[in-house]
Amino acid sequence: MKSIFAIGGKLAIICAVAAIILGFVNSVTEPKIELNRKLELERALASVAGNAEVGEETVVDAEGAVYSFFPVTGPDGSTSGYILRLVGLGYGGDMNILANYAPDGEVAAVVLMENQETPGLGKKAEKPDYMNKFIGTGGGTGDVPVRKDQLSQGEADAITGATVTFIGIAKALHTGSAFVKEKGGAAK
Amino acid sequence: MIKEFTKGILKENPIFIILLGLCPALAVSTQVVNALGMGAGVIFVLLGSNIFVSLLKDFIPEKVRIPSYIVIIASFVTIVDLAMQAYLPSLSKSLGVFVKLIVVNCIILGRAEAFASKNTLARSVLDALGMGIGFTLGLVLIALIREVFGAGTITIFPIGNFSGEIQIPGLYAAPARVIGLSAGALLVVGYLKGLFNWMEMRKKGGKA
Repeated sequence: MKSIFAIGGKLAIICAVAAIILGFVNSVTEPKIELNRKLELERALASVAGNAEVGEETVVDAEGAVYSFFPVTGPDGSTSGYILRLVGLGYGGDMNILANYAPDGEVAAVVLMENQETPGLGKKAEKPDYMNKFIGTGGGTGDVPVRKDQLSQGEADAITGATVTFIGIAKALHTGSAFVKEKGGAAK
Repeated sequence: MIKEFTKGILKENPIFIILLGLCPALAVSTQVVNALGMGAGVIFVLLGSNIFVSLLKDFIPEKVRIPSYIVIIASFVTIVDLAMQAYLPSLSKSLGVFVKLIVVNCIILGRAEAFASKNTLARSVLDALGMGIGFTLGLVLIALIREVFGAGTITIFPIGNFSGEIQIPGLYAAPARVIGLSAGALLVVGYLKGLFNWMEMRKKGGKA
């Protein structure tokens, strides 16, 4: 009986020391990690928003495809669109996408943020010109392309080998467009 | 004593000879920079856990040695993970979950159980460095082959104006993409293992 306490006690001591050290490391690194996340989001927001003013973030659904939205205000102070934080399912798991929509659901700008896609294939979606095929789609009655046959020959060739990434981004943008269409009507 | 250091690099290379830690090796060897980052993480954790397991080998009771090793290893992995997220965010992102999975990398628990718990501090440190460097070299070799043939690039750290990506003319335009995918990882490791076996056999054959 005594030996159980001795053994358990020693294990508890090891765990306690480890916990103290980790607590200290966490207190040093946490503010820095938080700052990195904020900076990354700010950079991405600036790149999709252009000159427009970005409002406060509202979380929609922490688990769904539309994570949150930021209202965008134009020079005259009216709502000129929405920036959505979208989550798409790629080849390597969740992909975080930031997209700027006009109030009628048209895609104005997109960037692919944190993702685990394959380098040389899906990762190519991080390049700015990748998103050109989505820009200008989704407005009014038009749809965001979600299948390869909705793209031009050149665009379809460019995503060969990374179809899963394309479909993941496209479906997320499609959902986002529908979300903005619903939202845009209410704002006017 | 120096043998404890050199054995991990070639004779008992964790990836090609004892085949330990293959899962992360396959997963992160898509770019050279990932392999270097993962290697550095593994060396740090291996060194830390070998030092502490060796120091505490008389304190840790036999019956709870595995949980104790796991606590020590997990602590070092968490330190590496947090430090990478704070100071090397882009590397942390590309390594993804594999930094956290260093905890269950069998090289580390394997060296703690098989070596550090039975040897002196100095020997354990040399063993950790040798095994860690051997793992890193193996990983970089796989990553170099996969990145050059699979994507036509070599990605290292960006320095000044240099973006860190070297594009190989000819291969960059038309790479053999399959080498960069998961199946390519298995192929490359398989061929390299075959090469090492062939070299080993030739060496033995030569002596006999």
